[in-house]
Amino acid sequence: MSASSADRGAGGERGAGPLLAPDASGHVYEVFRQEKDGDPMRHAGNLVAPDDALALDYAREFYSRRQESHRLWVVRRDAIRDLDDPDLLRPPLDRSFKKPGGYVMRDKLDAARQRAGTTKPAARIDTPGGAKDPTEDLPEEPVE
Amino acid sequence: MSTVPAPASLAPALREPLAGLLLAMADDEFVLGYWDSEWTGIAPMLEEDVAFSSLAQDEIGHAQAFLQLRAELSGEDPDAVAYGREPADFRHARLLDHGRGDWAFSIARRHLYETADALRLEALAGSTHAPLAELVAKVRREERYHLMHVGSWFVRLAEAGGEARRRLEAALARLAPDAATVFTPLPGETALVEAGLMAAGNAHLAGRWQALLEPELARLRLPMPRWEPPADGRHGHEASEDFRWLHGEFTLVARSEAGVTW
Repeated sequence: MSASSADRGAGGERGAGPLLAPDASGHVYEVFRQEKDGDPMRHAGNLVAPDDALALDYAREFYSRRQESHRLWVVRRDAIRDLDDPDLLRPPLDRSFKKPGGYVMRDKLDAARQRAGTTKPAARIDTPGGAKDPTEDLPEEPVE
Repeated sequence: MSTVPAPASLAPALREPLAGLLLAMADDEFVLGYWDSEWTGIAPMLEEDVAFSSLAQDEIGHAQAFLQLRAELSGEDPDAVAYGREPADFRHARLLDHGRGDWAFSIARRHLYETADALRLEALAGSTHAPLAELVAKVRREERYHLMHVGSWFVRLAEAGGEARRRLEAALARLAPDAATVFTPLPGETALVEAGLMAAGNAHLAGRWQALLEPELARLRLPMPRWEPPADGRHGHEASEDFRWLHGEFTLVARSEAGVTW
């Protein structure tokens, strides 16, 4: 048989040396994907690569080979600072006084705009992340 | 493809040389694509498995596009050309006549090929034959990534030392006589250069390739290939046993039933 046939199925290459063994020199990378210009970056998944250069190549293959991404962010998982401590994020005591629902802003803002002769700014769509008029989400009535 | 002007806009004397150039390029991409698709499922790691298979698919796509363009000149159906020929009728460079070998061999061969292909495409980017220039512009955008990815593996294996480097050196030694065969002069290419379809002939491109690759190989202290393309690097040689085996594989479905589709 030919040389190629003899080599075929040479599974030994799969684990040939520390170069290719993910546990020895590979890192887990988290990939964030932006589908269209202006969209937020969303977590897409993760992959293993020996370094940043190949991580970018693999991210391209995994998350854009069908042209489904406008931009990718590729970051080593161990570069991410994780915070999930409930004492810090969701303290048990009543926090309703920290929520903006207690303040009815809309009528006051409308009156102020009338005095100033300005109108309500339109939602900004040119900014990545889609910054909006910060008053838009304020509820009329206290939530709790 | 519907925007392609009638081939009548091309001087009749240029048709055959251009069809020959397109066939050579299509066969290079097609054969390499099939060799490298053999890594699907057994590449060194899962991520590379996906990447290398995707690269192989790209090459088959490029071959299809070149054959499609050639069909405007020759009237020959791309599928019939790709799957209906005997091994001796293929025109790929002898560099692509070897089996896929081990991982270092596949990377070494591909790096030699990608660097050569990049210069060949560059010489066609400003072609006076607009359909060719348009297609080459698209192909180059994909090949840019191939060049990056394979080039980074090449340097990685060279600098890794140990078994990886030994295998890479062995691969380069085996490929050395055939490395420049992508630049084998083609029949009628002088006419193509004179008409501005190609910016330069293959002999000139081979020189540029050497200027590009020699410093890299020297920096990595790797063995040098033969830089001059042999006259019989692309045709007039017997198809290798490796290629005859591959041909049997990629024509298997087409031979099983005439005109089979899916």
